[in-house]
Amino acid sequence: MTKRELITPAATKDLYLPVMAEITDVRQMTPLEKLFEIRLPGGADLGHRPGQFVEVSLFGVGEAPISISSSPTKKGAFDLGIRKVGMLTEMIHRMQPGERVGIRGPFGSGFDMAKFKGKDVLVVAGGIGLVPLRSLINYVLDNRADFGRLVICYGSKSDTELLFEDERRLWERDPRVEFHLTVDHGSPAWQGRTGVITTLIPGLDLDLPNTVACVCGPPIMYRFVLLALKSKRLPEENIYMSLERRMKCGVGKCGHCQINGSYVCQDGPVYHYPDIKALREAL
Amino acid sequence: MARFYLEKGKVAAFIAHLQSQKTVYAPHRKGRNAFAFAPVERPEDVVLDYPRTVSSIKKYFLPAREELLSFNLVENTCAQPAVAPLDAVFLGVHSYDVHAVLKLDHNFVAGNPERNYLTRRQGALIVGVGFTPDRFHFSGSVGIPAGDTTGCDLFLHPCEGGYALEALTPGGEGLLAGFPLPAHAAGLPAAAPFHQHIYVPQAKLKDVLAHGYDSEVWEEEAEKCTSCGTCNLVCPTCYCFDVEDAVDITVTRGSRERHWDGCLLRSFTEVAGGEVFREEPADRQRHRVFRKFKYISDETGEPWCVGCGRCTASCTAGISIVSIVNRLVNDYDAVKA
Repeated sequence: MTKRELITPAATKDLYLPVMAEITDVRQMTPLEKLFEIRLPGGADLGHRPGQFVEVSLFGVGEAPISISSSPTKKGAFDLGIRKVGMLTEMIHRMQPGERVGIRGPFGSGFDMAKFKGKDVLVVAGGIGLVPLRSLINYVLDNRADFGRLVICYGSKSDTELLFEDERRLWERDPRVEFHLTVDHGSPAWQGRTGVITTLIPGLDLDLPNTVACVCGPPIMYRFVLLALKSKRLPEENIYMSLERRMKCGVGKCGHCQINGSYVCQDGPVYHYPDIKALREAL
Repeated sequence: MARFYLEKGKVAAFIAHLQSQKTVYAPHRKGRNAFAFAPVERPEDVVLDYPRTVSSIKKYFLPAREELLSFNLVENTCAQPAVAPLDAVFLGVHSYDVHAVLKLDHNFVAGNPERNYLTRRQGALIVGVGFTPDRFHFSGSVGIPAGDTTGCDLFLHPCEGGYALEALTPGGEGLLAGFPLPAHAAGLPAAAPFHQHIYVPQAKLKDVLAHGYDSEVWEEEAEKCTSCGTCNLVCPTCYCFDVEDAVDITVTRGSRERHWDGCLLRSFTEVAGGEVFREEPADRQRHRVFRKFKYISDETGEPWCVGCGRCTASCTAGISIVSIVNRLVNDYDAVKA
């Protein structure tokens, strides 16, 4: 190892220091999920891309990586869709508008929307995978002329766990959106489609070379969605996926989020499928 | 640069001379056969001829526990505690541990340079010392001979009756000012041989490890492994950490602390909801070995293991990283031959 010139500490950034931001709105989406609107001091722009995440802090409880759920086109505040699943998210669920949380970020790669210009966008969202993908969906809708078709496949365990009800109803009616919904197990009242998310894919009529697929869902979902997309003959280089790992520091140091040699907080969580195909721990 | 002769009888005075300028950290005996770096109080307690210390000097730049933030729970505010620079000399560091620091420098500068590490690291002067390899050392196989002076400001080459003291940087020369020493005219003794070797250089290991991803060796070693994480704990190039909040008993203030973590521990990849991404001990064995010889190494061209032998010497299950790597080399050669 050759000795390297060390940069001066003064030239470093505040990697671990959160900015205090205000919760401006809280909406209960399901018994487990709430949507929080967060405002940075002075309404500053978070400056994120769809698919990026922030680290949310509650002092005394800890920090957790949370996907950003609003499009960068939304100004003055951003949204975090949070499932109550651990200590920190449990505490956040008890918080009210006016209370403050710490925010670091945005972190990670996100979707490079400039690359998707002129393309048809296929969104494949399983469960809370819709949370980060809602950022991308709304970005496409707010820049509608820049993209081709917007096809959304959304699968959920049950109809009682469906997210973003108001927006979902808009997407269902919006002639600019092709919205497909299925649930694994419907309640007796459910009148929609029943079946796992992969059952939506064979029936899609896609302009394959011109379609990019953006996939996010629970770990188990990816390989089955991939199989479905491949048997559809969607080229591999048209597939992007957002992966969940334990992004603890967000700045490529702590090691927890590594997939083989790749730091998810730096190279992901959104990956171009050909880049992670060889990473055995990815899927 | 210049080379001086430091006779054994003058070593204590030399250490005292260093102490008059800076804080000096050096190896001390701890218990019957363990050694540890500690701040020097009495020069005569310093041990320069030792097999290896329990931890490397990493602990001074990346402390085992450290406060990243202090917070006030009443006001819901936080602040970053100031990190004090170490105005220190590290005396008696083996070459592999100096290389380990240089590797950490890479990890903490590349991408997002980290202030806490750099503040402590900056200004640290290193006085290396040669050593006699024991049955665990294999740094020669990863490009670090026992007398390698890379990264050192001064180096003590053991020789007849004392040390050949080599000045390598202006900072090192500065430490010698006011401590007159005779020149060392004789040559340096040949560096001592190693008793343990990895058979092939890093350039080939790249392919060997890729080939060995699904080797049975991971499962076999994992059967012995207790996932205790000792190998991570003692490794001079492991730098992964966890972060936890601690609250004061008054529940008015607290701190966000980081502490060393280890990829051999099952919880290392656990996310909220309970999913563990390297569930099997074999997955975690492979990850550690690949971290040392493949992932960062493919980018930098260098092994990220420095051959100190600590993980093997302290493994509670007798697992040897050298045996694992050589087994993969043999398997690779058998297939490619």
